[in-house]
Amino acid sequence: MNHNVVDQSKDITILELLDRVLNKGVILTGDIVISVADIDLVYLGVKLMLCSVETMEQLKLGKSVPEKL
Amino acid sequence: MMIYSIISLNKNPEKLKAYLQGMKGILNTDLYAVFYNEIAVVVSDLKRANLVSDSVNALAYGDVIEKLAKQFTLLPMRFGSVLESRELIISMLEKNYYGIINNLQKVDNKFEFGLKVFCDTEKVLAELKIKLESDDKTETKSLKETQNSVYRDWVEKKLKEHRREEQLLSYVNTIIEDITNNLEKLDSVSKFKKMVTETTIIDALFLLDKPKKEDLVQTIGDMKIKYPGLNFVLTGPWSPYNFVDITIKE
Amino acid sequence: MSDNKILFNSGSLEELSEELGKTIGNEESKLKLGPDNADSGLAKLVLTLIELIRKLVEKQAMRRVDGGLLTDDEIENLGETLMKLEDKMEELKKHFNLTDKDLNINLGPLGDLM
Repeated sequence: MNHNVVDQSKDITILELLDRVLNKGVILTGDIVISVADIDLVYLGVKLMLCSVETMEQLKLGKSVPEKL
Repeated sequence: MMIYSIISLNKNPEKLKAYLQGMKGILNTDLYAVFYNEIAVVVSDLKRANLVSDSVNALAYGDVIEKLAKQFTLLPMRFGSVLESRELIISMLEKNYYGIINNLQKVDNKFEFGLKVFCDTEKVLAELKIKLESDDKTETKSLKETQNSVYRDWVEKKLKEHRREEQLLSYVNTIIEDITNNLEKLDSVSKFKKMVTETTIIDALFLLDKPKKEDLVQTIGDMKIKYPGLNFVLTGPWSPYNFVDITIKE
Repeated sequence: MSDNKILFNSGSLEELSEELGKTIGNEESKLKLGPDNADSGLAKLVLTLIELIRKLVEKQAMRRVDGGLLTDDEIENLGETLMKLEDKMEELKKHFNLTDKDLNINLGPLGDLM
């Protein structure tokens, strides 16, 4: 294997790992913070989506919201 | 505290303690375990303010999980799982105990593998068409072109796309059925996503006993021989990111 | 990153990384999103949902047309409605500066409706 091939295999492994770490795995519902700061993570599931809608409602009502990331 | 994963201890907490000695988490923080009954969570001390969600940190995070997964049965947590204190972690484990144990049993001694199948869909469809036409002479009927209308043309165009999709989908379904049949002997759990992009026609995940890795590679190799026009890419072993189905409450 | 986790690959690695880039999406741009652009994030979420429903309706309509039981007038009407919907969607996308790719986000179980 030449260097290029090694690099590319590595890239692919990295992409696959990133996808898993950021989008999969056990979700902690209380952990709205990162979901709000990183909008895309909000879309992960309906449950989370509903959570973030709740957060937005709270924002609108001026209630306290967990501090931002 | 940043939570990396929930680990099943198998009555051996010392093994985890020893393993975490000197191991570093993201931003060079020390890793340690918080124990609760026969499970433990691996954490490192990290302020929310310091937790930047960039790819360097995300990769370091994933690396910790992958390393741990080689030694222990675990549930990987998604990047960004933070609880403020040891007490909160314990109460989280307490509240979700049965769900956690259930999931740990499901993935005990198993690994996740990913399979992506991609191809030039135009080419595949063209080949399918030739095959279909030689099989029987049924021609797909198009709408009568009685009058010229923008709307009718539009429907005609969409209808073509629709038929094309349906055709591709039924082809994808046969491939998936084929893979499923061939994997039956491996006793794996599979998940399939179809038509992820224009070229990636299947995105599959398998949960498999650790020693069966080579059998899986063999099976996918056989599939390539059977479907030379398709590209198969198998990755793994990964910790079971896609096979945990609990949303944990704080 | 130490391990190479590719167990089997029948294509070239170039092709593969290109493919993965497409399926996994642009993680970098995802990660850059923050509180500052929450507005466009919300537009993205809403438009994604609308687009999903629009596509579902369109798909169902084509099934009906393909079934061959609709009259010419019905097809004509259907075509007009759906085409206008599609145009409207294009307008909205342009207005919020969003591309098809932006609206191709993972909706979890909802996405499986397609």
